[in-house]
Amino acid sequence: MALDATNRFRTFAQFMRDQTSFITGLTKPDLTAAIAATDDWCDANQTSFNNALPAAAKAMPLAFKSLLLAYVVMRRAGVLHAREDG
Amino acid sequence: MTTVYAPDFKPGEAQFLSTTFPQYQKNLGTNFPVEGLAFDAAADEAAFWSFDAISYGSGNLTLDIEWYADTASSGAVVWEAAIACITSNTDTQDVETKAFATAQSTTTSHLGTTGQRVHRSTITVSNLDSIAARDDVWLRIKRLGSNGSDTMTGDVILIRATISYSDT
Repeated sequence: MALDATNRFRTFAQFMRDQTSFITGLTKPDLTAAIAATDDWCDANQTSFNNALPAAAKAMPLAFKSLLLAYVVMRRAGVLHAREDG
Repeated sequence: MTTVYAPDFKPGEAQFLSTTFPQYQKNLGTNFPVEGLAFDAAADEAAFWSFDAISYGSGNLTLDIEWYADTASSGAVVWEAAIACITSNTDTQDVETKAFATAQSTTTSHLGTTGQRVHRSTITVSNLDSIAARDDVWLRIKRLGSNGSDTMTGDVILIRATISYSDT
């Protein structure tokens, strides 16, 4: 289920506080629209993502699958620091 | 007629209520430290100062806010200001429950070109709360981050504010 307006706003607010190096060229409407589009994409592709998972992961709760996607994407973005990174 | 400038309102001298206030910062620049109040982009945060309306004569006050955008190079910021005035020995108002006069606001667009360049926003304070010479005046400066016209992402950092007025 997509985030409601309050949760989209809080995602938007915290993104600005945490990711200061990425927001230089964006206005608030730009970022708001991007967050809405991302959330809508997650909603629209939830089934295909679920179908792409192996059986064991597919059987896990939704929260696990959301975190799984988040961790992979954060690592791709270079913001997930692992203990092994030193 | 002379224009009187009240002493600068500096970040380190600001006062705050218990919630929704900007963060005090001292950014260590390359050659000198830059003191500021960082106003969040997604909230309406306020800072407060007080001053003596020395030699106030008449007319509106001019409030100049010096600021820079922490990360943005586009968009606009909405600043709001309000004053509350008390004439000592005359007004019977309880100082701790005194209300501000109606606020005024201004919207200022980022000038672009260079990040963290210093801007000046000017607010004409026309709601004067019956200000008189030597009044105790409280000033509230607020960023209206929730306002639809405030489109600037990231913090806006106030480095100084100045009030001026006519002595006649």
